[in-house]
Amino acid sequence: MTTETINTSTPVEGAEQPIVRIQDLHKSFGGTEVLKGIDLDVHRGEVVVVLGPSGSGKSTMLRCINRLEEPTSGHIWFEDVEITNPKTNLNKVREHVGMVFQSFNLFPHLTAKENVMLAQRKVLKRSKEEAAKVAEEQLARVGLADRMDHHPSELSGGQQQRVAIARALAMDPHVMLFDEATSALDPELVRGVLDVMKELARGGMTMIVVTHEMGFARDVADRVVFMEGGVIVEEGAPDQVFGNPKSERTRAFIGDIS
Amino acid sequence: MNTSIPKASPIARLALAIALVLGLFAAGSLLAPRQAQALEVTQCTAAPNEDGGNQILGGAETRITWRGQAAEDESVTSIVLTMPEGLQFDAEGVKVTGLDDLDRVELNAQVTIPGDGTMHIDFPEPAPAGLSFLVETYGATFPAEGGTFTVSTQITDADGTVTDLGPSSEIQVAGLSKSEQISSWLEGQEWVQAWNSNRFLHMFFDPTLIVTSVPSVAQGWVTALGIVIIAFPLAIVVGFLLALLRMSKLLPLRAIASFYVNIVRGTPMFLQIYIAFFGLPLLGVNIDNFALGCIVMALNSCAYLCEIFRAGIQSINKGQFEAARSLGMTAPQTMLNVIIPQAFRNVIPTMTNELITLYKDTSLLAAVGIMETVMYAKTITAATGNITPYIVAALFYLVVTLPMTAITRRMETGSTKKTSGKKGKRSGKLSDGKGGWTPATDGTSTKLEVKQPDYF
Repeated sequence: MTTETINTSTPVEGAEQPIVRIQDLHKSFGGTEVLKGIDLDVHRGEVVVVLGPSGSGKSTMLRCINRLEEPTSGHIWFEDVEITNPKTNLNKVREHVGMVFQSFNLFPHLTAKENVMLAQRKVLKRSKEEAAKVAEEQLARVGLADRMDHHPSELSGGQQQRVAIARALAMDPHVMLFDEATSALDPELVRGVLDVMKELARGGMTMIVVTHEMGFARDVADRVVFMEGGVIVEEGAPDQVFGNPKSERTRAFIGDIS
Repeated sequence: MNTSIPKASPIARLALAIALVLGLFAAGSLLAPRQAQALEVTQCTAAPNEDGGNQILGGAETRITWRGQAAEDESVTSIVLTMPEGLQFDAEGVKVTGLDDLDRVELNAQVTIPGDGTMHIDFPEPAPAGLSFLVETYGATFPAEGGTFTVSTQITDADGTVTDLGPSSEIQVAGLSKSEQISSWLEGQEWVQAWNSNRFLHMFFDPTLIVTSVPSVAQGWVTALGIVIIAFPLAIVVGFLLALLRMSKLLPLRAIASFYVNIVRGTPMFLQIYIAFFGLPLLGVNIDNFALGCIVMALNSCAYLCEIFRAGIQSINKGQFEAARSLGMTAPQTMLNVIIPQAFRNVIPTMTNELITLYKDTSLLAAVGIMETVMYAKTITAATGNITPYIVAALFYLVVTLPMTAITRRMETGSTKKTSGKKGKRSGKLSDGKGGWTPATDGTSTKLEVKQPDYF
């Protein structure tokens, strides 16, 4: 937890080692190379927003960070642990890397509260009472105190996504990955989820956010990364990337979207 | 001038004979030989009236035959038979014949039945001495409950001496069960006779046979249910393990499971039953028929259940697996807490169908002599030449399968409603994860790739 203020420039270099470090990451599906050498450092407390057209590899990169996708080559460190080392206990790493999916992926057979409790009980071995207490806190935090005993099918998409965020937060993650968390939502439901994400960013959570929400990137990001064709084309402070993009492709993309 | 000697049973007779022989030895040949009886009852029996059997049944007409041999010097004027208690008979059914060796002797016998359970046979002219009497009572009916019965005989000779000969040897009458009683009652009903006069109705829906078949076929039904109750849980356990093997990352495990499943599903169950029941004894393996029946049914069913479970598990969205893993849950934890509970709910309808199939397939075990539903029906049909018992057997199957089918149908509609959001996601018909109730306006569902998850 670094600061409460939102930095508009790259945070302090050198003082601290990055919480996530990606080095020369490659990923191929069959013969198609989706990631063609990604290098990215994310520091504690930083909010990095990854932009780019569909198929640019941003989701794949995100999924490599907790190895839901197996990288073809390259290295990824999370804190002191090299995730790409085959000997690494992935489950241990994943405890500390929260992930929110485009399609929510709530467990449909469990209530909202049970969804938030399950991994606490099974992975962190918390007692039932403690897990329930944390679940209630986290659900209240995302504004769903009155929906705890509802099943996912009884919740709106926005509510489901907020349960998914609470579920990830209950594990006390050191970093949160958002994979197009609002893309599957109706426009009127997007705001509620973005508000929760903004609140989280203000609280100092380290976040890597893949999104198409330009407004969110502009307001919340410490750094914006623009990807296309499996490489990082441009990165920098939001003001710089949006106001004065260096790359022609970035300019074209931003022009199209906004 | 004879004392009556009870002729109750062969054992008594034997004892008497032994005593007599010993007595003769003791007293020497000087003593007078055994006094001849006035009349000896040589036979007292009832004719078997069981359909296809040799029992004497109560509640149905039979013929009682009584034979007596008068002593050389005895001329009988009257015979009084005390018939078994509760026996229904009338004078018209009684036929009295006199026999002198093999020749019939004309007898003017007068038969009266006073109604106190006795039958009086009077000979106005005393019958010739030493005659053999044959009294046949046609159309006599023993009480439906059955029991042990005797006929007591009393004779009067020409001098007017009355001799009591006591009870005859015992006649064993099998009682009718409740259903047989109802059946025999039905048999007498006019509407039943009218019904049975139609050949089709008689051969397929004979009311009297329906009534008698039910308790018998029910025994087989209980056996069939027993087989299912033991075999199905066994099949679930083995089938689930097979499903896990089939999804294993290790090729040999996958190959073994696939091999087994394909062999079992690719051959008729009838053949599997024959191989097990006739093959194992040849190897010196002797397992109780019922147990072996359960094992064969389970080993067959588990192959089908394996495929049902595999499909159920693989139908769970990959995202479920990813979400659980991203929270740090291990593969077994994910399987147990996330995938299986959902998969199980999805496969309940197909599993119930497999249960129905298994239940119906127990009938194949009749081929190897297991006394289940069809086998009982077959036995009765073989004895009566009527199809009705098979119809009764069919009803016993339907009693179970129809409600189960109805439940399955209800579950199927119920479960599609409940999981419509998830299914929509997979098929792309509904918008992603809307839980099926918010308006579907976005078109992002096409972005989702549906890939078979790697579980192990």
